[in-house]
Amino acid sequence: MNLLNHFFTVPFIYISIVVFLSVTVYKIRSYQEMPRHLRWDLYPIPHLGAEGSKYQKLDFHNKVPFFSKADEGKYLGLEMVFIKKAFVNNFRLWLGSWPLHMGIYLGAFWLVLLMLGAIIEINGIQINGAATLSLGWAVKWMTIFVGIASFGAGLLGTIILLWLRYTDEELRYMADFVTYINLFLMLLVFGTGFMAWVTVDTTFDMIRLQTKALLTFSGASVSSLPIVFEMMAFGLFLCYLPFSRMMHFAAKYFFYHNIMWDDEAMKPGSKLEQNISSYLQYQLKWEASHISSGGSWIDQVAETKSTEGGKQDEKENSH
Amino acid sequence: MKKRIRIKDLGLDDAVLSPLTPEDLQPLLGYDGEKFKTIKAETKEKYDFSLDGFSALSLPIPKSKEEEEKIVNAFLKGLEKLFTKENNWGFLQPTTLSTEYCMQCNTCNESCPIYTETGRQDIYRPNYRPEALRRIYHRYFTTAGKLLGKWSGADLELNWRVVYHLAELSYRCTLCRRCASVCPIGVDNALLTRELRKLFSQEMGIAPEGVHKSGSVKHLKTGSSTGMTPAVFLDNIEFIEDIIEEKIGRRITIPVDKQGADILLIHNAGEYMAWPENPAAFAILFEAAGLNWTLSSESMGYEGVNYGVWYDDVQFSKVAIAQVQAAKRLGVKKIVVGECGHATKALVSIADRLCVGDLAIPRESCLPLLESFVTEGIIKFDPSKNNFPVTLHDPCNLVRLMGVVSPQRNILRHIIAPGQFREMPNAGVNNYCCGGGSGFAIMNTNNFPEWRDSVACRMKARQVLEAFDDCLDPTIPKYYCVPCSNCKGAARDGLMEHYGFRDKYNIIYSGLVELMVNAMVDVPSPFISWEDEF
Repeated sequence: MNLLNHFFTVPFIYISIVVFLSVTVYKIRSYQEMPRHLRWDLYPIPHLGAEGSKYQKLDFHNKVPFFSKADEGKYLGLEMVFIKKAFVNNFRLWLGSWPLHMGIYLGAFWLVLLMLGAIIEINGIQINGAATLSLGWAVKWMTIFVGIASFGAGLLGTIILLWLRYTDEELRYMADFVTYINLFLMLLVFGTGFMAWVTVDTTFDMIRLQTKALLTFSGASVSSLPIVFEMMAFGLFLCYLPFSRMMHFAAKYFFYHNIMWDDEAMKPGSKLEQNISSYLQYQLKWEASHISSGGSWIDQVAETKSTEGGKQDEKENSH
Repeated sequence: MKKRIRIKDLGLDDAVLSPLTPEDLQPLLGYDGEKFKTIKAETKEKYDFSLDGFSALSLPIPKSKEEEEKIVNAFLKGLEKLFTKENNWGFLQPTTLSTEYCMQCNTCNESCPIYTETGRQDIYRPNYRPEALRRIYHRYFTTAGKLLGKWSGADLELNWRVVYHLAELSYRCTLCRRCASVCPIGVDNALLTRELRKLFSQEMGIAPEGVHKSGSVKHLKTGSSTGMTPAVFLDNIEFIEDIIEEKIGRRITIPVDKQGADILLIHNAGEYMAWPENPAAFAILFEAAGLNWTLSSESMGYEGVNYGVWYDDVQFSKVAIAQVQAAKRLGVKKIVVGECGHATKALVSIADRLCVGDLAIPRESCLPLLESFVTEGIIKFDPSKNNFPVTLHDPCNLVRLMGVVSPQRNILRHIIAPGQFREMPNAGVNNYCCGGGSGFAIMNTNNFPEWRDSVACRMKARQVLEAFDDCLDPTIPKYYCVPCSNCKGAARDGLMEHYGFRDKYNIIYSGLVELMVNAMVDVPSPFISWEDEF
């Protein structure tokens, strides 16, 4: 048991962090390195502001496109913090989705506070017994409130979503096995966190101590089973996350910025033009008869020839 | 009657997997007792109708195990190519992301008019066919899927029926992207439907006759998807000049092949054949505005459509580049696309990144130019000449896919008598498709038109009736303004013929430019008539 406690509260956490970071970075890089796609905008595009689409303007190609970071930021903020699209278009689902996502955001903040508290203690400043309104005191109480809020919101959201997936015939119809795995994993993460808090770690001192041990590579482990389960669930979550569709937290950036809002026009001499020119040399392997399989994209287009017409005067003269 | 069809049922060997009956359709004012025609037994034996009782593709039923395997293998080969940059650089990133990140929340479902108007049949959910695609991809191309099968979400076994059903299903979506606009994550199920169409066309040579063989192939061969050759085009121009003279009392010479003009105007060639008043109206307006413009009689220079945008990136590229090259040869300063939503989107937006090197030439929608005639006082209009109820259809390609929402409204406010213009419910970027989108308007084989008119056009019919609900009396002539050729095709076949809008409610349809000319101070007699055939 001591060996398992040690494994799940020390090496497993390091392994899970490495797996999470490396796979996440790999996936994000792979999306970034994909070719620039053809235009596939979807309107309204927030950074165009109140003016709207440039296609509404005469000779728009001669005009500097309008760009409003403020409008884009406002839209993103509403979407990230409040999941506005779900609120508007699927309120029932939002009732579970929003608290779950808030639980995740608060959980990430809670981890930051734990690390901050650990770093403060490494530097000789005590969290427990710190003077009121001191940095240590502030970190302690923020950690407590944010942690409780995270576990509470996360649990509430997960339970609502599981209940919806179980009782709503339409949601149950579409869900595959993985959807339930994801939700049960979230239940495990928030549930073990909650149990650890409620049973043995009401001020989060134990988890902060273990965070300090991990940051200093001291090798110290935890013997309290609720904390062990909490950390095991967290490590499992970190390992699984980048392989799952829960990575939509990163993918969403690409969906919005790189696809729906990518209205960059082609300009002669631009990097975009260079990139596209290189893609046109790729060789296609499609096998339908109207495609020259093995030829490049340029080859396909070059086969199109104008067959007749084009000289109105010659036509008139020939009549 | 709604029958539960799970994703993994897609390959079932039923006579018809999810039969659609008229009773399934949502009630629509004045349209009870619709009946679907019976398909002849010999037709059903020849072609596959087993998805929902309709056929868009005339897929021949395989006669041997070898043929069945060939279908499955070709599909898998094509599916693999969709996720390679060499074969799909144009849409690799959006396709990959939309494949990987659907959270199965069904938020997209209620936004889809096909799904809602059919009484919420499972197979018409916007996430049904992409989810099938995901599970197949997962099952055959990922390690987890190969090892764990259904435990990793890969619970769909492929057989020829799955392939055929997916092929037909890919033509039960108008690619309007309403689903994408409501998805909290940004997943685009309409894109995946288009990717499926692409796989079928580019790998297996499967596409609707009207879209491919009689569509883009004919376009590239003859110069127009209508088969109109340059010689016939020139004859049509002469005919349009006759129409103009008849309508306004004087002859206008339409400029053709004018080298170095400021504007090359390119219409959906269907206008010349079916709605010549539209290019006539453009000519009247452009002449009145004193523009330096031209049409082109060169093959590929007078036809604005690009059917490839619906189903095939290779055909799309061929058409777009040929159109731009025709404009370059004329030495015009810019291309203006007439009233056609998909033609505008294809050439102005999607093809923008194909216009590298010397193919760079400005391209824009006609609407801002038309708006300038009104707002800058270039042409004088008398709105009292358009003193009848008017509602506006918003073509998906213009509003949601290009953001062009205000110019057409600005124009209408200036040229319609006060109080006569009314918006439809869900106007602007939240519009519903006309029912003819993504090629539906020109897909007329087997009983597909029946499906299109009864299902795809149904929400639009509902919207138009709601817009005119205070004046449905047939003694009040009403105008359904449709600034898009494809949408006019759907209006003609769906709203006018199938739903009888002309006969029952005295609603006619036509474009925006016809309304503008009708309001021109200098045009003595009405350009629009409720007596003329549209």
